[in-house]
Amino acid sequence: MTTHALPHPAALTPARYTAGALVHFTIEHFLLLPIGGLLALIWANTRPESYFTLTHTLSFVVNEIGMALFFALITQEIVEELMPGGALHTWRRWTLPAVAAVGGTAGSAFVYLAYVGFKYEPVLTPGWPVAGAIDIAFAYFIVKAIFRRHAAIPFLLLLAIAADAFGVFAVASRHAFVDVRPGGAALMAAAIAMAFAFRQWKVPTFWPYLAICGPLSWWALYVDGFHPAFALVPIVPFLPHAPRSLDVFTDAPHGRHDSPRHFEHVWKYPIQAVLFLFGLVNAGVLLSGYGTGTWALLSAAAIGKPLGILAATGLAVALGLHLPLRLHWRDLVVVALATSGGFTFGLFFATAVFPVGPILAELKIGAVATGIGVPLAFAAARLLHVGRFGHHSHHARAAHTEM
Amino acid sequence: MHRYFALAAPIVLIAGVALSHPGQSIPIGPGPGLAQASGAIVTAAPRPESLKFAVVGDAGDGGQAQYDVGRQMWASWGGFPFEFVIALGDNMYGRQEPQDFVTKFEKPYQPLLDAGVRFFGALGNHDKQENRFYPGFNMGGERFYTFVRQHVRFVVLDTNLMDPKQLAWAEDTLRRAPEAWKIAYFHHPLYSDGGRHGSDVELRVLLEPIFVRYGVSVVFASHDHVYERIKPQKGITYFVEGSSGLLRKGNLKPSALTAAGFDQDRAFMLIELKGGEMSFRTISRTGTTVDSGVIALRPTT
Repeated sequence: MTTHALPHPAALTPARYTAGALVHFTIEHFLLLPIGGLLALIWANTRPESYFTLTHTLSFVVNEIGMALFFALITQEIVEELMPGGALHTWRRWTLPAVAAVGGTAGSAFVYLAYVGFKYEPVLTPGWPVAGAIDIAFAYFIVKAIFRRHAAIPFLLLLAIAADAFGVFAVASRHAFVDVRPGGAALMAAAIAMAFAFRQWKVPTFWPYLAICGPLSWWALYVDGFHPAFALVPIVPFLPHAPRSLDVFTDAPHGRHDSPRHFEHVWKYPIQAVLFLFGLVNAGVLLSGYGTGTWALLSAAAIGKPLGILAATGLAVALGLHLPLRLHWRDLVVVALATSGGFTFGLFFATAVFPVGPILAELKIGAVATGIGVPLAFAAARLLHVGRFGHHSHHARAAHTEM
Repeated sequence: MHRYFALAAPIVLIAGVALSHPGQSIPIGPGPGLAQASGAIVTAAPRPESLKFAVVGDAGDGGQAQYDVGRQMWASWGGFPFEFVIALGDNMYGRQEPQDFVTKFEKPYQPLLDAGVRFFGALGNHDKQENRFYPGFNMGGERFYTFVRQHVRFVVLDTNLMDPKQLAWAEDTLRRAPEAWKIAYFHHPLYSDGGRHGSDVELRVLLEPIFVRYGVSVVFASHDHVYERIKPQKGITYFVEGSSGLLRKGNLKPSALTAAGFDQDRAFMLIELKGGEMSFRTISRTGTTVDSGVIALRPTT
């Protein structure tokens, strides 16, 4: 999900400069998804019948096929970070964020389930994984805006990736709502065996993996009652890879990442278009449809998750793990609050857990409303004098002004 | 240029694939042949060979009002011996332990249950999904199910979770049903002027085309804690009866959709079907008739 291949707007001709700069900025900041979501919200609340008619037509193709590419890209980044030379190669790097992610997931699940239990709406119970979702890009840009370059950023990314990985496992099964047919395991075995064979034959491009193993895996999950959007997850580890550093949104990998044979190089723009459609298809909810699920999700994401992260990290530190260098507890509070936003992953997990209906609508509103994490994180940073609001930054600015 | 193409190609491709398989998007015009209920006040007096049933919704809070409605239903049963009751969901609020089924269902309706009146439940958002196994709700352990009484087909849905499997089942069941009268009921209203929830447009987009296509004449729902009769939409009459236990007094916000409404006290409905007519009467817990009329069978095209 890097933006390294984008031409800088300055490289464009003057006549196309404005449009080019706008596209550059939109893509670089992953704004197509929120733009799609905003359009959806306006459309759904002004012309709901036409909106829902369209989205029911599109939702299968976008959510169950298109999103497979998005999860493939995320998987590829994680795999490359885990490789020798990658940022996650050693367990020491990811242990503490993983523990924090366990805490965040547990904290959000606890608050969510407690709220749902208190309000006696048991039909909402399966929605607990939605509360633990963290929008990786969303959280990244908050923390980046507060800290600029800081140990908080890789810590947050690792935490978010781990928390969403837990969520993927929790929502993958849809046995409650779909008919399971035989043959899924055999199809999946064939898909993985074929990917393994391509790997052994040193097939240099991702296309055979995508075109042959991908559909086999997709069909395997579909007939087996699992969410087919995860179809490429077991295939991607066999793809040609190159190690990368952790700052997935801004690093500038070269060489194999820039090759047209590399998955990311070919699919990064189409995936942004898929994310736009994902926002358009899923974020449109009637605002009058809020309910217990909305409040449960919001309180779990904004209170339970940050508290869980802080508690688990505190416990891990007490047991002997160390916070990363220059990451202090005040910083961690801000990072924990920045994880509140579940937007993309929250919406996806919600659609994976619940079929269409008012229960899903309640959770979708909650997932969109978790954007409250932005002001919470900034307010905490200001109160705690963290990052750009820190004394050091203030003095530096003052000194700069005096000069 | 490559970027623009890469961004636009998936959108065009996905839209093309989706639009070539349009799924549920079926624009339907107004249905023919509905006799309006306006002015035709009837008393739902028993007629030979008719099917009689009652309707309650959002009833099961175990409060005094639910018991009052239960007593009024029993009083009505004396002159209008309805065979069964359809319960539109939120049949149980709050804690749902075995003792609660006694205090929130069996005791309020004890005389009716003793007289052999059966309840057929739908699941609301406050109902445990496991309640479908409770014998008193006669759901046979299913979230969605169907039953037939005389010449009437009832289709009961779980609108909490409108999964494709249920949707396909509903369409198949209605398509195959040979009965002239088809009645659907579930918890969340496709049309409602209740101030708290209102119409569920997303469900409407999914369900209404099926109801129109396969000849459903009447739909009952609840969720908003008021009573409302909606003017016929595409030939179908929609009722909201969500005030048999809980009430949001003054919460009905009448609109152009509203044919009649009542939001000042609890209520339940009595229904009688015979031949091509369905007569209905909505009664408050004090025994006052707050709405009534006759609906004609909607011809199946």
